[in-house]
Amino acid sequence: MLRRDFVRAVIAVGAAPKLLLGQQAATPSPPLPAPTPWLLGLNSKTPIPYVEAADQVALAELRFFSPQQMATLTRLSDVLMPPMGEKPGAVQAQTPMFLDFLIGDSPDVRKQVYREGLDWLDSEAKKKFNLEFAKLNDAQVDELLKPWLRTWMSDHPPAEKHADFINIAHDDIRTATVNSKAWFTVPEVGAEPRTTVELYWSPIEPDVSLEKADCAQMPPHVKAVPKADHPMPSYPR
Amino acid sequence: MLNETYDVLIIGSGHAGGMAAKILTEYGIRCLMLNAGPVADVSHDAEKKPAYELPFRGFRPPGRLEHVFQSNEFNANVWVDEQEVPYTFENDQPYNWVRVRLFGGRSLFWSRQSFRLSDYEFKAKSHDGFGEDWPISHADLAPYYSRVEGIFCVKGALDGPPQMPNGNFILDDAPWTSAMQRFMDVAKPKGVPVCKQRAALGRDGLASSVNLLLPDAEKTGKLTSIANAVVREITVDKNTGLPNGCNFVDRLSHREMSVKARVVVLAAGTLESTRLLLNSNLANSSGLVGRYLMDQIYGAGVVCSVPEARNGRSKGVMGSSAIIPRFRNIDTKSAKFLRGYAFNTTASTGALGARNFTAYGAELQRKMDEYSGSGFYMTIMGEVLGRYENHVRIDKDRKDAWGIPVLHVDTKYTDNEFNMAKDAVDTACELTEAAGFEVLSKNDKPNPPGYSIHEVGTCRMGNDPKKSVLNKFSQSHDYKNLFVVDGAQFTSAGWQNPTMTILSLSMRASEYLAGEMLRQNI
Repeated sequence: MLRRDFVRAVIAVGAAPKLLLGQQAATPSPPLPAPTPWLLGLNSKTPIPYVEAADQVALAELRFFSPQQMATLTRLSDVLMPPMGEKPGAVQAQTPMFLDFLIGDSPDVRKQVYREGLDWLDSEAKKKFNLEFAKLNDAQVDELLKPWLRTWMSDHPPAEKHADFINIAHDDIRTATVNSKAWFTVPEVGAEPRTTVELYWSPIEPDVSLEKADCAQMPPHVKAVPKADHPMPSYPR
Repeated sequence: MLNETYDVLIIGSGHAGGMAAKILTEYGIRCLMLNAGPVADVSHDAEKKPAYELPFRGFRPPGRLEHVFQSNEFNANVWVDEQEVPYTFENDQPYNWVRVRLFGGRSLFWSRQSFRLSDYEFKAKSHDGFGEDWPISHADLAPYYSRVEGIFCVKGALDGPPQMPNGNFILDDAPWTSAMQRFMDVAKPKGVPVCKQRAALGRDGLASSVNLLLPDAEKTGKLTSIANAVVREITVDKNTGLPNGCNFVDRLSHREMSVKARVVVLAAGTLESTRLLLNSNLANSSGLVGRYLMDQIYGAGVVCSVPEARNGRSKGVMGSSAIIPRFRNIDTKSAKFLRGYAFNTTASTGALGARNFTAYGAELQRKMDEYSGSGFYMTIMGEVLGRYENHVRIDKDRKDAWGIPVLHVDTKYTDNEFNMAKDAVDTACELTEAAGFEVLSKNDKPNPPGYSIHEVGTCRMGNDPKKSVLNKFSQSHDYKNLFVVDGAQFTSAGWQNPTMTILSLSMRASEYLAGEMLRQNI
């Protein structure tokens, strides 16, 4: 709130409680105008409510992948990262739903890699086994995936078609699962990756007038179209 | 006091600006420092959180900071927003401009690697005929390097070859672990030096302008600082024609303001200082402001596994970090590229990531358990040649959130850089295989230009005013009261992380400026 209103409120709060109590005995008068004094009561002793991340509790709406693609992605996630020991797998960590959200928000090139990749997996399954991908058993899935697995270094995933989707999706599925609450709550036994727990920076004195800025009225600046089929991915380093 | 004239206006608060502020105020000179962004306070701007509490589980928020590969959901709010301060480039020539406008700039987050340039960089043209020599040599900068290494508490060993001069170090006398020793035994006979890493320890866990330089300046009582000041242009006195201050706009309120000073010191970071000069139409009699943009190639390298460190036997075998300084084109001559590259070489005790194995599920976890603690990494830092064609200019059609015209970046890597990256990977494979390590993954393609966050050049220093923007004291050839003390002044990039050199050049320029002001020459 503006500083002068704050100052007025501070002056008012000293007088207000006594006035309210006094007036209960005599004729009641209308309540004080906002900001009312009790808004100023928050202080360092105030207990902080504990809240859960929404997608741990609520069912998120699917909005990007088609039902068929979602079935393929779910089967793929379950094979690439099944539950192991006490640790949950991708499906238990709600990774397919999360990826629907992440990829659905991502730049077009990333959306395309996923959509085409999932459709391709399904058509390969039908070609080879006369079944949709979601109905394949583990051995059949392995036969489709094995030729496309690659090793790669940060910022340089395989560029070859099909290998790109398989390896990027594998990496995304693993990261999303490891960073889930389901994963975090089960202690590690070996060299399983750890959930990232790090310093999170809130917006620092954010500029909320950005919507009025000249640049907000103009189309986004020229986006890079790199030589590979798809842009460098956004991976945790 | 409103509207008074300060002695020196310093634009930027990172390593370059912070050093200028410290030196000048310690000489009794009154300085005004402007910083484009806010002060960051970790105690109320940051909080430890697990990834699952964040909407994108730690993934970089889609559509944000597409050119900052180093960003993720945790740190997204420390980088300059690409929509608030955009820049442009041709579709097929992407540029990764990585910026921080918080008070202290990128000095808050740098990697601490601390190397000096050598005369193989300062006198590069004399050595191989390409580009230009710097107007200074290592001997000129050595006293400043020593003082900077002292302030920043640089730790290292006195084991550098001539191309990596030794310095004023807190000595690292820890023994090498056995995997690194074995690697060295293979590398040394092939002419590849392997040396202890050199890192700035700083103080209380931070080595930055805000804890090592600015407090000294503030102690003198001669420094006034303003945050959230986005400078539009440097102003010029109508009568003398000399720079005399600047116009700036408050980042949040958009209120327009101005300040006056006798001297202007630009320290906004290589490309922001150059952008300011171009937007102010100043100091460009050479026509070279914006030209010779350089950085270093990063991203090429190998990941290996040390067999005897697997299955939990990492202790004593792994745990060393080394720097391999440039060894190409020193005593030998490569047919395929000029200059050279360094390797950051690490025998790690940590886990090897899933990307290093062609497996998934239970089989992948078995491999990761077996290989954990056996990772041996070599990644490149290679010198990018300075070329006239690689440049920045103003894009008059695009403006940032305060209406200031943005930069257009027109640069690309050439065969020199690509051949260097290939040679690096071939060499790394040869050495690690000879040492008995297993190569798991490799990459010979550099990341996009700018990724290194070591962009230098565009206001290069030199003795000839026709071939350079600044003289050997970082002073404009055109105006004796205008200095550029950040990475823009570099004449060549070298393979070395530029921080130590930026700090030393800023210290030297500031002492020169102080001397000139005290003698009333400026």
